[in-house]
Amino acid sequence: MNGFTGFVLRRTVAAVATLLAISVIVYVVFYATPGNVAQITCGPRCSPEQVHQVARQLNLDDPLFVRYGHFLQGLVAGQDYSTGTSVQHCTAPCLGMSYQSDQQVTQLILAKLPVSLSLVGGAMVIWLVLGVGTGVLSAWRRGRFSERVLTGITLAGTATPVFVIGLVLMIVVCGELQLLPFPQYVALGDDPEQWAWNLLLPWLSLALIEAAAFARLTRASMLETLAEDHIRTFRAYGVGERSIVGRHALRGAFAPVIALNANNVGSAIGGAVLTETLFGLPGIGQELVHAVNVVDLPVVVGMVLVIGFFVVLANAVADVLYAVADRRVVLT
Amino acid sequence: MTDPAVPAASGARQFWRRLRTQRAALVAAGVVALLVLVALAAPLLTAVEGQDPTTYHPSLVDSARGGVPIGSLGGASADHWFGVEPQTGRDLFARLVYGARVSLGVALAATVVQVALGITLGIAAALGKRWVDQLLSRFTDIIVAMPLMIMSLALLAIVPSSFPRPVLVALVIGLIGWGNIARIVRAQTLTLKELDHVAAARLSGWGTWSIARRELLPGLAAPVITYAALLVPTNITVEAALSFLGVGVKPPTPSWGQMLTAADVWYQAAPQYLLLPAGALFVTVLALTVLGDGVRTALDPRAASRLRVGTGRRRESKAAEGGTA
Amino acid sequence: MIRDSEAPFREVVIPMRQPSVRARRVAAASVSLVLAAGAAACGPKDNDAKGAGGDSTPHKGGTLSVLNANPQQDFDPARLYTSGGGNVPSLVFRTLTTRNRENGAAGAEVVPDLATDTGRPNKDATEWTYTLKKGLKYEDGTPITSADIKYGIERSFAPELSGGAPYLRDWLTGAADYQGPYKDKKGLDAIETPDERTIVFHLNKPEGEFPYLATQTQFTPVPKSKDTGTKYEEHPVSSGPYKVVRNENDGERLVLERNPHWSAATDAERKAYPDTIDVRSGLDSSVINQRLSASQGADAAAVTTDTNLGPAELAKVTGDKDLASRVGTGHFGYTNYIAFNPKTKPFDDPKVRQAISYAIDRSSVVNAAGGSALAEPATTFLPDQKSFGYTPYDLFPAGKAGDPAKAKALLKEAGYAKGLTVTLTHSNAKDFETSPEIATAIQDALKKAGITVKLQGLEENDYSDKIHNVKTEPGFFLAHWGADWPSGGPFLAPIFDGRQIVKDGANFNTGLLNDKSVNTEIDAINKLTDLDQAAQRWGALDKKIGEQALTVPLFHPVYKRLVGKDVKNVVISDWTGVLDISQVAVK
Repeated sequence: MNGFTGFVLRRTVAAVATLLAISVIVYVVFYATPGNVAQITCGPRCSPEQVHQVARQLNLDDPLFVRYGHFLQGLVAGQDYSTGTSVQHCTAPCLGMSYQSDQQVTQLILAKLPVSLSLVGGAMVIWLVLGVGTGVLSAWRRGRFSERVLTGITLAGTATPVFVIGLVLMIVVCGELQLLPFPQYVALGDDPEQWAWNLLLPWLSLALIEAAAFARLTRASMLETLAEDHIRTFRAYGVGERSIVGRHALRGAFAPVIALNANNVGSAIGGAVLTETLFGLPGIGQELVHAVNVVDLPVVVGMVLVIGFFVVLANAVADVLYAVADRRVVLT
Repeated sequence: MTDPAVPAASGARQFWRRLRTQRAALVAAGVVALLVLVALAAPLLTAVEGQDPTTYHPSLVDSARGGVPIGSLGGASADHWFGVEPQTGRDLFARLVYGARVSLGVALAATVVQVALGITLGIAAALGKRWVDQLLSRFTDIIVAMPLMIMSLALLAIVPSSFPRPVLVALVIGLIGWGNIARIVRAQTLTLKELDHVAAARLSGWGTWSIARRELLPGLAAPVITYAALLVPTNITVEAALSFLGVGVKPPTPSWGQMLTAADVWYQAAPQYLLLPAGALFVTVLALTVLGDGVRTALDPRAASRLRVGTGRRRESKAAEGGTA
Repeated sequence: MIRDSEAPFREVVIPMRQPSVRARRVAAASVSLVLAAGAAACGPKDNDAKGAGGDSTPHKGGTLSVLNANPQQDFDPARLYTSGGGNVPSLVFRTLTTRNRENGAAGAEVVPDLATDTGRPNKDATEWTYTLKKGLKYEDGTPITSADIKYGIERSFAPELSGGAPYLRDWLTGAADYQGPYKDKKGLDAIETPDERTIVFHLNKPEGEFPYLATQTQFTPVPKSKDTGTKYEEHPVSSGPYKVVRNENDGERLVLERNPHWSAATDAERKAYPDTIDVRSGLDSSVINQRLSASQGADAAAVTTDTNLGPAELAKVTGDKDLASRVGTGHFGYTNYIAFNPKTKPFDDPKVRQAISYAIDRSSVVNAAGGSALAEPATTFLPDQKSFGYTPYDLFPAGKAGDPAKAKALLKEAGYAKGLTVTLTHSNAKDFETSPEIATAIQDALKKAGITVKLQGLEENDYSDKIHNVKTEPGFFLAHWGADWPSGGPFLAPIFDGRQIVKDGANFNTGLLNDKSVNTEIDAINKLTDLDQAAQRWGALDKKIGEQALTVPLFHPVYKRLVGKDVKNVVISDWTGVLDISQVAVK
């Protein structure tokens, strides 16, 4: 297990370094974006004195590195905030308070994360089934009608922005055919059945966009494996086509599919902005876009770090899965 | 993308010969060429139609009904081949062909930036010293781990509005989207580095640049081109998404992404407004994907042998036998 | 958090259709979100909607759903910026006075709420006295006192609770530097509470429109012992017919239930028919309209308080009789216009400004804003409503499609016979207000008059920063202004009063007009406590300012909103232009 412990350690160190670098980049980039944060927080009709008071209260007058220092301090030691009538403690790791809504960023993230995870988790199942299925079919039954239809669907999914697919799906399925109610997020813990029904359309919309890439990747990898010598040998020995495709060729597609999937899952946690927006799912992506627009730096940094964390995590999990699948791979 | 590439020393002629044998790829190439031609000839085509993409025609829309085009098929007529845009009455054909310029232009330019950055940084990491590799690889990790849409929102807001917008959008998409291609190039280069002829070149004292150019680039061509063919359509949809978020190309310049964004709500009241850009985008993505496959097959000699396997009996596989293998 | 604007009232103004990413930007902004209202039948001006269908008598009971784009992020009465107390907030917060909950022009009147009358001024309107009604109680049964109203106003001065309108700070004696009760325990001397039911306001200048100001949520009583500062919004103590029982994710979901201690006998305005009000937000605006038109299940008893019908949806709705009967139409005091900065060339020349006024094609601008059903062409700066003192004028008649010949002649006189190139600045936000579509419509129209317009589209924050800063203000830009209350005062003074030019902060007098005769007239009208007489004078002043061609009025928006099929008793006043949620019944 020593190798595995070492792997976890190395990865953790690399992840922390990566996340810190990301936080610095975000601080610098958003420092440069236009928008008078204090004026936005205070309201458009605030007098210069009021704006000044708000700026002082949010420590906006401090130089950039001092503010970054505050941020690091909060991460390590927590921070205290005044509500006006009392003092509120934000325990470490404290990502700070939203400029705009007086909410702790950590709490905001905890509230939004289940939504994003539900969305991406379900969509992942669909894109894997649909994408890999289409890929297998198109490698195995190249040129047949069913293959062309499936490939067409997955490509159409990639070619059409989610705000078009999602809206049209919703108008047709929920509005005209009334097969499903209009999606509205229900927590998994509250009612698992409603959770699934309400997320069905968002899952489909998100999955359709990703499926084509999986289909192409699966097809290519399978064809590659099928071309290898040992498969020819199997064929020569009369091993059934079904068994060759199912047992051997599919295995060759495993590693690249895992890698792509890790990438997609990680980035979709924060990147499914359009899907979340369209279906009114209060997830990380939607909140992040909102925070960017009102230059709410603590929220932006916090959310970007959480997204970065999931990308790093997903890649590490993918590496472990490789190693499990293929003993020759050494974890580094 | 993981196969150890074999140098494609067979040359351009062989490449063309192999490409010619794939009918689907040829059709796709024709479609792509046509699209590029339409984009380039946009002023000419609209002149033939007698319209331009920016003039308002208030008399062609029903102002009392939200500005829906008057007449069937979205107001299509001999004057306005594809009908007019709701609310403004601008000519849809003109907007579609001018939109092709922006959408294809931005996507291609962004792809060029991504590929150039990806190849440069990928090779540099693979051939450089250990610390260079570490630094570049970590940097790539950071870029891949950042939510790109968000960073582009911020970046697009920082740059002064006087900067030409299509160029900016292409640059931003290019600058944030090179991470994966760099990873692919690095992995591929590491494999190639170990091959005999590359090792020999290194031993005989060739410079890094010459090695990269003469020995590595040909081997990298197949995976890079395949991935790039996927990047172009992705970049078109990223441009659309940026338009949706309000930071894409600025009006009155038309782009397909912008048209889709404006049109999605019109799906029921003026369907052709949505179907035109959506259809154009679909055809483009399909053609580029099929063409990408074809090019890859033609570039990668091993693909020819691959074409013979599988249970589908393919016409092109027979023809491909004329190739290598 | 209002971000973009000059428009104090974003809530009502939420664009007809915008992807909600944008809606939320605006919203973020909108402190207020508040008001907005669903829509429904009985528009004041249109009769295209039937009363309420079938059995139109409203009954108590049921659950009213509210489907919104923007979360009610602020629910603290100190932070809300509303016109007349807001829509959802007004269910929980009562104020000294409030808006009259009636259809049309009658709804633009101010009426008593917690107070027995709309206020008793001294002779020169610098002192206003109010007496509270008897038997007023909070949700916990404790009595409401005048000291709580004073405390509520004081805490709105705290920087922690910023966001409200500027009037209290500008009007109350000695309030300019006050930092709220958390830092300054002594309180505001300008507000006296001689006994539990009396409250007296001392102003630094005559303000005949004080009763309008007393409708804003800052005039809500807040019991000092229950104040939790920035956390108060999670559970504000209700003085109205409903109390907050759930507030999830910072206003994303709000559930309101009856406040047993509210008595209809003390409240002539709020009907409070439903037992429960369930507000859900974060929805895409096109989805909200789809849901309202489908009216399935709980959506049959649903309204929206922030989402208008967009042009595409209107095109669909007008073709469907059933849907058309569920659309409510309203008019909020609001003007979209072109602003000039006369300190920059070539707009320092009145002839250039006039030429542009003549060249404007209002029909294409109106189309870009959603068509004639969603926007009415404007030639006056004041909204076309009686309470504003609307006085029709068209000083530079451009007709329906512009008068390029007249514009060319004026340009020639100004020395631009060969034409002119100018830059029009606008926001890139995808709302219908200052949007790229309107800018391109103007660009297209001015071309005919030989004026080449270059467009400068700025990101929303950038746009807002630039146009409100005297140092960076562009010469020629799109702007809009909404009414803090339905009168000429808050509409004209911030934009044209020379003493309101702010050199080192957010400036709204973008024409940088400092005209003694205008300033004097503003002061004279503020002294009037007869609001009808004041309205007339505002109307005359508007015309007089119009002669300077500092702005080109473009259009006044019209709000159209759907309601679910079981929704009854839809009341839309000219004050808010949207359905009043306190009047709606679902049974």
